[in-house]
Amino acid sequence: MDRPPIEPLRTSRKLSFLDDRQLDDLQESTLQILETTGIQFPSEKALKIFAEHGAIVDQKSQIVKIPRELVFKAMAPLPRYFKLGARNPEFDLDLQEGVSYFTNDGCGHNVIDSLTGEMRASRKSDVGMMARINDYLSSMSFCWTMVSAQDCGVTSPLHEMDITWKNNTKHYQSVTMMGEELCRYGVEMATVLRGSSQEVRLRPPISLIVCTIAPLVQDKEAIEGALVLGEAGIPIVVMSMPTLGTTAPATFAGALAVGDAEVISVAVLTQLANPGTPVFHSLLHAWADPRTAAYVGYPLDSRARYAPVEMAHHWGMPSLGGAFGTESAELDSWQSAAEVATDPLLVALAGAEIVTGIGLRDTYTLLYPEAIILDDDLYHQARYSLLDIEVNPETLAVDVIHAVQPGGHFLSQKHTRNHMRTAMVRGVIHQLDEQGKYRNPVEYAREKVKWILDNHHPEPPPEDVQKELNRILAAADQELKGSV
Amino acid sequence: MSEELYSKLMGAVIDGEPEDAVQYAKDALEAKLDPLTCINKGLMPGIQKVGELFSTGEYFLPELIIGADAMKAALDVLEPALVGGQEREVVGRVVLGTVEGDLHEIGKTLVGTMLTANGFKVTDIGVDQSPEAFVKAIQEHRADIVGASALLTTTMLQQKKLIEALVSAGIRDQVKVMIGGAPVTDRYAKEIGADGYAEDAISAVDIAYRLMDAPV
Repeated sequence: MDRPPIEPLRTSRKLSFLDDRQLDDLQESTLQILETTGIQFPSEKALKIFAEHGAIVDQKSQIVKIPRELVFKAMAPLPRYFKLGARNPEFDLDLQEGVSYFTNDGCGHNVIDSLTGEMRASRKSDVGMMARINDYLSSMSFCWTMVSAQDCGVTSPLHEMDITWKNNTKHYQSVTMMGEELCRYGVEMATVLRGSSQEVRLRPPISLIVCTIAPLVQDKEAIEGALVLGEAGIPIVVMSMPTLGTTAPATFAGALAVGDAEVISVAVLTQLANPGTPVFHSLLHAWADPRTAAYVGYPLDSRARYAPVEMAHHWGMPSLGGAFGTESAELDSWQSAAEVATDPLLVALAGAEIVTGIGLRDTYTLLYPEAIILDDDLYHQARYSLLDIEVNPETLAVDVIHAVQPGGHFLSQKHTRNHMRTAMVRGVIHQLDEQGKYRNPVEYAREKVKWILDNHHPEPPPEDVQKELNRILAAADQELKGSV
Repeated sequence: MSEELYSKLMGAVIDGEPEDAVQYAKDALEAKLDPLTCINKGLMPGIQKVGELFSTGEYFLPELIIGADAMKAALDVLEPALVGGQEREVVGRVVLGTVEGDLHEIGKTLVGTMLTANGFKVTDIGVDQSPEAFVKAIQEHRADIVGASALLTTTMLQQKKLIEALVSAGIRDQVKVMIGGAPVTDRYAKEIGADGYAEDAISAVDIAYRLMDAPV
């Protein structure tokens, strides 16, 4: 069955919201934090690597202070652009200027069951369902773990990868895989899928989100997992999520400084351990409610969509930008659309190489399967807004205008016949019913989800590969589940 | 020879090629073919096919309009050649125009094209036409339907004056009145005593069929 090609956001324009002085000042504050305050790395492995390369390591507090010379020296081999491989080579992503590849949101844990309408915990089958929908949609350049496979226990990240591969042929970015053991199994599975470790390095079919703990602490499991992936040449995304007023200063710049220091410290570690490891920079800050300290992802401020992207580029790193992720728990409220409507436009104009996260509600936690179709519409609005306008003799049509003359109309022109079909594109919110009236977008979105699930069946991995993957999964289940 | 030319005329309408349609019409007359048969076996099946393709969603409005233009261009060659009492079969006769004080043309022109494509004989009297000019044209062309277009809230009042003029001329019961235009509504049409209101050129065809009591 025909499936639409990937349609990333492309633009030849780039907006710079921060000037060079601001970017230099932000970078300087990061360097100062790394040098004088330090970052806590509760991992013997990480501490050893830092110590071997001249960082100041306090074994007792596990705080590492990194001199600026070491930061710059370590970061030198970090690649600015690289490839994210896909199961289907057609969907390999070459990072490049002016192109933003989007993916779905993650990682939710609640699902509104489409059969019962009730909320329940997410399962492995939900991961597969959304991976299949992702595979069909042109807005989805790669696939994130949209919800967690809570029915699979501690090895759920491996099961999520397995079910994703059965339903999706694009690059897979795991949001949940942590810890050395789990990541070794993950690398083994990627190697089986690709055929050899050399192929994994050339066209890595997976990558991994590594989250920091604000302020200025690293997660042992995340860091040690990242080192395993780095060893295999698999890209990682270092993501910091500082919250203004609780885990970061209540000022925007202060929060950026905290987050940036966390990200850069991991980037330095990965390069010291395995120079040239592909690493994305990501900083998705939030706000704390001033009365309750509750996490607020969307106040009246979208600067978070672009500022971190510019900071990443100032370091010479590619960026994972944040978009969507409404606070609203409703599928289709005014809030759920309005909060995020300008996100894809801003993040793409800032030049983020990859971007999450379409399709969840309630601050990245709640899945309505049809939400991805509604958000997809906002994505394509941004995509069309950024398309270049063709200006050439054919599109200017001066001869046609002359032929029509003042007061005439263009419907009789062959030029109109040739171009009118593509002149206007209707999105999800502009679908018409038989009477020519606008349809309810949710109803349309539900039908589209059903249609995709009924009709789109991506080729699963070959049988022998699947057999081997099953063996690895079983071994992981036995080893890791047994130890819990 | 004759079958080939009928087929060419039909193809020119389906493909929306007015220049070709005119050429084939001239070829047909030169070959001494009966113009009425050319219309009935060439142009009419062509425009019917265009209508079918439009209703199934394959054709868009430009294909429909350009197909109708091709048919009209060929008719302009063939109709003057009709002899004796020969007349092509039409669903109904329509006089169309934009009301006095209003220079907006396109809506009315599209309605005319759509009606022509659907078998009506349309006489378009142009823009800025007085009620008297409408009455004269209705009488001259023995119109079954008169269509009056107005794009402005200030000129839509002329649609009411047209109906009053029809009453004064004693022909109100001989002709159905359709009105249209951006500010015009179904409610307004009822208020002024018009027989039909069409939101766009496509629905104008349905309304016209209904007014003729012809199957839609």
